[in-house]
Formats: sequence, structure tokens, C-alpha cells
Amino acid sequence: MKKKGIKPGRISKNHWERKNYKWIYLFLLPTIIIFLMFYMMPILQVFVTSFTQWDGFNEPVFNGLRNYKNLFTSSAFLISLKNLFLWALIAMFLHVGFGTLIAFVLYQRRRGWKVTRAVFMIPNVISAAAWAMIYRFFFNNNFGILNSIIRKFNPDFDVQWFYQSPWAFWAVTLTWLFYAVIVTLLVFGDLMSIPQELNEAAIIDGAGGWQLIRHIQLPLCRSAIATGVICSLTSRITMYEQISLTTAGGPGNDTMSLPILLVNAVTDYRYGYANAIGVLMFVIGLVMMGIINKAFRMNDSDY
Amino acid sequence: MLTLKKGASRALIYFLEIFVIVISVFPILWVIMSAFKTNGEILSDPLALPSSVSFDTFVHLFENYNFPQYFLNSLLAAGVSTVVSLLFYAMGGYVLAKYRFPGRTLLFTLFTVTLLVPAHSKTQPIFNLIMELGLYDNLWGVTLVYLSTGMAMSIFILRAGFMSIPKSLDEAAIVDGAGFMRIFWSINLPLAKSAISTAGILMFLSNWNEYYFASLLTMSDSQRTLPIALSYFTSEFSYNYTQLFAALAIVVLPGIILYVFAQEQVQVSMASTGIKG
Repeated sequence: MKKKGIKPGRISKNHWERKNYKWIYLFLLPTIIIFLMFYMMPILQVFVTSFTQWDGFNEPVFNGLRNYKNLFTSSAFLISLKNLFLWALIAMFLHVGFGTLIAFVLYQRRRGWKVTRAVFMIPNVISAAAWAMIYRFFFNNNFGILNSIIRKFNPDFDVQWFYQSPWAFWAVTLTWLFYAVIVTLLVFGDLMSIPQELNEAAIIDGAGGWQLIRHIQLPLCRSAIATGVICSLTSRITMYEQISLTTAGGPGNDTMSLPILLVNAVTDYRYGYANAIGVLMFVIGLVMMGIINKAFRMNDSDY
Repeated sequence: MLTLKKGASRALIYFLEIFVIVISVFPILWVIMSAFKTNGEILSDPLALPSSVSFDTFVHLFENYNFPQYFLNSLLAAGVSTVVSLLFYAMGGYVLAKYRFPGRTLLFTLFTVTLLVPAHSKTQPIFNLIMELGLYDNLWGVTLVYLSTGMAMSIFILRAGFMSIPKSLDEAAIVDGAGFMRIFWSINLPLAKSAISTAGILMFLSNWNEYYFASLLTMSDSQRTLPIALSYFTSEFSYNYTQLFAALAIVVLPGIILYVFAQEQVQVSMASTGIKG
């Protein structure tokens, strides 16, 4: 809504901008350097060297798709793909579902909703490493809380959660399953921005509580839920601490994940192989994001 | 019938609120409580309250192990990287928000699209970069990496913050003869306070808690940050549970305290991370 009358001012502003180009680019310089050093160059390096055999000391040798072929025939990699797929499904339906449910609970604004919201954040502000450690103790067979509660009902209960198949997979899942505060905050934000008249109009039209949620409120949170799904899928791809500090991928390869394999390859000086895993992480992320965008019709507007 | 349904849904709401509070707080309370118990007490009944309260274990940890050093390391790595990168990204976000120049859209797109690249996938090149710079096993190497981690999000938040400051203020300052630096430093920066604290809190928390790169890029005891120290500590002293729980409490509490003081801001910040991620 620019007024035509301020044209002289805009010309002088343009002139002023041109005069200050050196300042403008100087201000951008640190960010550009960081971008080149930590994003541009590393990403190019990852892509290029994923097609080579490289130990970090000798020059990389081009070997075509060998690394990728090796990956897709390695059982550890295939299991970590299977885990990622399972975890992605659990994240999408249970994790995001729980986060959304809590957002709707908060939206009712019953007594305690502010405390609940504040406290739900705590697991997210402490280090993931510490949280993994807490859970390692929590699930400990000798002095962990879970087993001592179960033993009150069944004295013979004896499970080493993080060390026994098939429990390890579910123990790792439980370290993040219910901690969906990001989803809750996103959905809650969207709920709060629903115009009050819309809720009132629906109630006048005779909509009951569940109908209001199902036909009005839930559809209007669509994009927040989609963003929540993307956030939570991204953290499934990059899941490291929760695994490295509890099971380290074991027992066997039961809880193997891509970042664990990647770090193992780096410490074994198999750089080309490690970078092929990096490329696949990136590609899987993009594909997932594309699917979610399509599925939730993210680009359509609501109002 | 209707009141029954209403009562049931109200009960469900309270049940879920209590469930969330329990799963979020109980594990941490249990850790803190266990830090005051003896080994025997921990093993015999994990749920019992401690028989006496003494801070000896904490004192012992601080006196006999390098915990003050780890604490300082964490504070240095997270603090320095946050302050420096805030300045850098504020400068970048400012010109991207307020000036038109060749390459503006391209740079903004490049900076923010990095959000799509998982940091873990760049592990090997970053590892090599730090090696070549001679900063392996050096806290400054970790700090340097931390400078980069919040880039996309901070540029996004800060640019939006500067965009909401009216341009008429800048124009008035130009008329008054203020230079480029002065307009940035004395007019825009103070007005972008809330965006700056949002980005700052997010970066500080994630760097303070960072484990992956710190574990990859350091070796020796003197360069460890708290999360790394904790993981070494748990593998070395796996028999002394009291000390383990005390160490965990030491690592966990600063973040929680920061959160208690800046609660509203953290919540707003966290919610904004998801925005169009």
C-alpha cells in the first residue's frame, strides 16, 4: 500500500543503499564465510566423496556406486533402514498424535493447563545425552524404577530392557515417544489463532464438542500438525544420543540407526562409505518432507 | 447422560495433564532424590526417600573431579559461540531485512535452505576441517562448529524481527545524518530485542546440551563439556550410583534453572522453531 507521493524519498533511499553497498556486503560476510565453511563445502564434499574410496590419508579413489552397493547389502544398514521406517511410523501416528491430543487438552484451559504446558518443556531443555542416561537408569534391571514398580505386582519380573531383544527397540522408543512438546506447542499456537467467531458460529449451528473438534478445529491445525510430523521425522533420521548412550545399536543390530553407522564408519576411516550414508540421510529427509507436504496439502491456505 | 459425558471428558483431561506432568518431572526428581541416597539405599528400594540429606557427594564431585572445569568448558563453548553468532546473524539478518541489493534473495534462500540438511550427514567433512585447522581436541574447535549450527533458524528469526521495525525510523535517522553503523547499532539492534533473545536462548540451549560434535571432536579430559564428561563418568564409575546420580543432577540442573527464569521466552522460541521448518 505504498503512496505515490513519497517517490523522491525512495530515490534518495536507493541512492543511500548504493552508497552503502560496501557496508551491506561487509555485514553479510561472516554469515557467508560460515555458510561456505560449514555448509557449502561440506555438502559438496559429502556428495562427491560418497562415490570414492577414501581413508582420509591417501587421495580419494573414484569407485562409482560401490559404497552404495555395499550399504544396501550390509545387514546393519538394512536393519537401520527398517528401524527408521518403524520409528517414522510410530513418530507420525503415536508421537504426533499424543502431542496433538495434549494440545487439545491444554486448549480446554482446565485448571493446571499452564503448569502442564510449562513442565512438558523440561525434557526438551535438558541435554539429550543426560536424558538418555536418565532413561538408562530408569530401565535398569536392579535399581530402575520401571522394574521395581512391575516387581510390586510380579516379583519374578526380570528384563534387561536395553540389552535384551526384542525389548531394546521398545526401550529406545520409549525414551522419546511421549515427549512431543514441540508438536503440542505448534498445534496449540494454531488453535489459539482460530477466530473466536468461528467456534461460536459452529456452536450456534448446533455443533457439539466432538464435532467442533473434528470438523472445525482439527482441520484448521493441519499445517501445524504437518510441521510437527516433519520435525519429528527429522529427529528420527538423526537419532544418535538416545541410542549411542543406551544400547549403542545393540543387541546385535536391533536398535541400529544411520548416524551410529556413520560415526562408526568415520572412526574406522572409511570416509567414502560414511559420506554415502550422509547422502542417503539427506535424500531420505527430502523424500519424507515431500511426501508430508503432499499428504497435508501444506500450501493451501485455510482462511 | 450429557453430564456423565461431560464428567468423563473432564476426567480424561485431568488424567492426561497429570500423565504429562509425571513423565516430564518424575524422572528428574528421581535422579535428584537418588543423589542423596547411599548405594545400598538405591539398590534396596529405588522408590524410597533418602534417609538423610547431605551435599557431601556434590562437594566430593567438585573437589575430586574436574567438574568446575567441565562446567566452565560448557559455559565457554556455548556462551562464546552464542554471543558471536548472534552478532554475525544479526548483522546478516538486518541487511537481508532492510536493504535491497543484488543477490539478496539468493543469499536468504541459501542460508535458510540449510535447515534441510541434517548436521550429522556433514560429520566427516567437519571432522576433517577441524583436524586441518589444528583444532582437534580443542574446545575452540567445538566452539567454531557451534557458531554454524543455528544459522538457518537464527537468520530466519532475526530477519523477521528486523522486518517488523518501521523503516520510517531509519529514514528519520538518515535525514538526521546518522551513518550505516549508527542506524544498525543504536536504532535497530535495541528494537530487535525480542527476536535476539529468542534466537539467543535457542542457540545457547542447543549448544549447552550438544553432545554429538563435542564427543567427536574432543579427546582429553581438560576439553570436555558437561554432557561428554557425564558419559565418560558413567562408564568409569558404573558401580557408584550415588555419584552417578549426583553427576547427572549437576548436568541437568543449569538448563532447568535457565528455563525457569526465561520460561515464557523459551516457550515462544521453541514454538517458533517449527514455523515453516
